[in-house]
Amino acid sequence: MDLENTKAQMRKGILEYCILSVLSRNSCYASDIIKELKEAQVIVVEGTLYPLLTRQKNAGLLSYRWEESQQGPPRKYYELTTDGRTYLADLDKSWKELVDSVNLIRTR
Amino acid sequence: MHGINIIIYLCIVMLHALNSSKLLTVVKTRLMKITVSINLGGYSFNIDEDAYAELKHYLKNLELHFAGEESSSEILSDIETRMAELFRIKITSYKQVINIEDVRQAISVLGTPEDISDKEGPSARDKFASPGYHRMYRDTDNRVIGGVCSGMAAYWNIDPVIIRVIFVALTLAGGMGVLIYLILYIAIPEAKTTAQKIEMKGNPVNIHNIKDSVKKEFDTVRKNMKF
Repeated sequence: MDLENTKAQMRKGILEYCILSVLSRNSCYASDIIKELKEAQVIVVEGTLYPLLTRQKNAGLLSYRWEESQQGPPRKYYELTTDGRTYLADLDKSWKELVDSVNLIRTR
Repeated sequence: MHGINIIIYLCIVMLHALNSSKLLTVVKTRLMKITVSINLGGYSFNIDEDAYAELKHYLKNLELHFAGEESSSEILSDIETRMAELFRIKITSYKQVINIEDVRQAISVLGTPEDISDKEGPSARDKFASPGYHRMYRDTDNRVIGGVCSGMAAYWNIDPVIIRVIFVALTLAGGMGVLIYLILYIAIPEAKTTAQKIEMKGNPVNIHNIKDSVKKEFDTVRKNMKF
């Protein structure tokens, strides 16, 4: 059994949830999301984020607008849509159920 | 004439000594290189030739990784834009050219296709496999003279020494070895592309193998470049 692979799978599973959570508090850029994830010890390479953000945008959970930047090319400024908020609320519920289940099994 | 020979010899010895010491590395990094001008995310950069090759290879790999996706061009564009952002930070009035270290740093920030854990498994990769050819090529990477013996050995999966011994024996016994070698040299093509090199060994050509092959090459070059 590959421990690293299992851990990676676990991380992969919560990543979308984390992205939506970060955006629920503040609209921001992709690099800000990465910074927040890092601070919360969720280490991912930036390349993992872009496809996820695009997929969530395509699913209508996020929207973005272009913001000019002094440091370089214009950047996408993401925010959660109403659909996104509903989706997040659902995930919140799911997450709570998961945590409760696992805790039950671990502490039995 | 004798004196000049000694001077030349001494120069060569000195260069060798400098070569193996740290002194010349400082000099080496300042020597002139060719740069390439690129448009990354709408911004213009000057980039060292070798850095450009590595960057191009990386972006190509990413393109293949996302090839099955609906918005692959959007994803790639986002990644390129981010790369341009990272590069812009590097450029100052003292440093006008992106070098290979900058590229590698940016790649480590953005992640290689292996690092990007957004897909299920190998299903996307096997789409690009081509039927396994097994062709004889000249292996110029592992050549002594022209890669004929290495290529033949790769095809049959034996030690090239065996083939070389046969050729030498044929040459000693009447000179046929030289003639046969020349004919084979002309007839057998050189394995230039990565796909050809894989075919030479008889492995099916797919993304896995190509990436592994190129990665191995890069690692070899990188190892040889450490002074």
